[in-house]
Amino acid sequence: MPSDPPFRHAIEVADLRKVYTTTRGTFRRAKVENVALAGIDLAIAPGELFGLLGPNGAGKTTTVKVLTTLLLPTSGTARVLGHDVVSATGDVRRRIGFVFGGERGLYWRLSGYDNLRYFADLYRIPPQVSKRRIGELLEVLGLAGREHDKVEGYSRGMKQRLHLARGLLNDPDVLFLDEPTIGLDPVGARDLRVLIRGLADHGKTIFLTTHYMFEADAICDRVAVIKKGRIVAEGTPSSIKQLVGDIGVVEFEVDTISQEDIERLQGLDTVSSVVVTERELALVVTIHCAQPAEVMTQLGRLLDGIAFRRVSAREATLEDAYVELIGEAS
Amino acid sequence: MRSLIRAAWRSFEMSTRLRVVSPWAYLNWLVFPVIFAAIGLFVLTSSGYARVAYGVLGGGVIGFWSVTYLDGGNSIQEERWNGTLEQIFAVPTPLVVIVIGKILGSLLLGLLAFIPTVGLAYFGFHAVLPALDPLRFAVSLGVLSFSFFIIAVALTPLFAISRSAFTVLNGLELGVYGLCGFMFPVSQLPQWLQPISYALSPTWATRALYASATPSASGDIAGWWLATIGLSALYLVVSVALYRFVEVRARVSGELALA
Repeated sequence: MPSDPPFRHAIEVADLRKVYTTTRGTFRRAKVENVALAGIDLAIAPGELFGLLGPNGAGKTTTVKVLTTLLLPTSGTARVLGHDVVSATGDVRRRIGFVFGGERGLYWRLSGYDNLRYFADLYRIPPQVSKRRIGELLEVLGLAGREHDKVEGYSRGMKQRLHLARGLLNDPDVLFLDEPTIGLDPVGARDLRVLIRGLADHGKTIFLTTHYMFEADAICDRVAVIKKGRIVAEGTPSSIKQLVGDIGVVEFEVDTISQEDIERLQGLDTVSSVVVTERELALVVTIHCAQPAEVMTQLGRLLDGIAFRRVSAREATLEDAYVELIGEAS
Repeated sequence: MRSLIRAAWRSFEMSTRLRVVSPWAYLNWLVFPVIFAAIGLFVLTSSGYARVAYGVLGGGVIGFWSVTYLDGGNSIQEERWNGTLEQIFAVPTPLVVIVIGKILGSLLLGLLAFIPTVGLAYFGFHAVLPALDPLRFAVSLGVLSFSFFIIAVALTPLFAISRSAFTVLNGLELGVYGLCGFMFPVSQLPQWLQPISYALSPTWATRALYASATPSASGDIAGWWLATIGLSALYLVVSVALYRFVEVRARVSGELALA
């Protein structure tokens, strides 16, 4: 196996840009440029569990695809374990694993074991090593006993664990996980998070993308927030929360609320954002504001006649900080 | 090297197993060739022994070509739909090795097309190949297989770079039926089209195959074999550049994924 060039960071990205060119129109076609990455910089230490957070279309998956050699950047540089992802694709591919979220990416009409054996051969792992490794992974990931069943009969959680097993076949030093818990039930997602954290604790560098903020808060050593192809914040989950340290959160539940009521809340000087989400049979109104106590005292006056089910104030979470950052960056 | 052979073998095994459970594959090697063979046999068995090889073998050659060429491309499209195309693209095994395994599977499946078509000729039309020279026929079939294999290996990666490539390359499948003389001699084509036929390696291999099964056929069968091999070698050289182009193009456009 060729040796790695000297490197300080397992993943190093400098001024990375990716522009897709597409066409618009049927008869009079015009070229359209879509900037997916607008010049990002990242430096991730060996053994770190790093989370890239952002809304849909922010550039998370594009970043992962460039780093896993699936896409060529338009400009800038990206290195994994010191190897350039453009010119040293073979060296990068041998040393990384990647898992994309969702159910696709497996041969459903074949068994889990057949899927793993196929990819073990494509990763050019010697048969005696791959046999042992597949057995270990099936055991660790809780698929032992079902490995000869067709994948189409697997639950979503089992498919995701099979994805992870495939990503770990070559015992990669760096593992890329693109929204690995998407669509999983809460227990399955929690189990997978425990597994991912365990891999990082055993020295693997993990690059994770997610839109679940509690997930990033729970397992990531460091996170970056990406919006429209630009990194808008980077640091530990605690330091990201401190970026909006003077912001508190008031939350209340109601049966219904009008647009005028929301606009009245948004009109308060200390309020920076108001978000309404449906939760079971109620609407949850989340207010990000500088002085939660003052906002709470004004609720009754501003929303006269509304029956509140529950009102509470709390400190900002990573999700609140994320909402603020994404809002500011737009 | 051994790990590459193992990867090609596994690719062959996997694609064959996936085809066995795919209804589409049965259409390609069983149903469509029989339809073509039936039409050919209706028309050609009445015109005497000189053309009977086209009737007996034409449907089989069409099925053989369709499965070998199109099934390889289909399998790339299926990888895209499965979401596995990116994964096989980003492994340390070169794409060409995976494609070779897939095409070998297609080639073997394609050969099966001769069973129903020759069976139809024998049992349905009492048409046989009375002047079959077994040795020349076997070599010609080997050379034809080689020519199909090389074209399929060379063109299959084009399916990877574009979601719409399939439509264009599908048209090529049909064009080759006529241009390479699968169902009628190339001499029946307009003169201006014949140079294109002669630039295609299956033209020479098909001519050799039919000649080795036709009474009093004249021509330089060994020369036709060499022409097939020479043209195939040329395609192989071009395909090296094509694979490099596909590697770069796919990574620029990001079309390996479905969306």
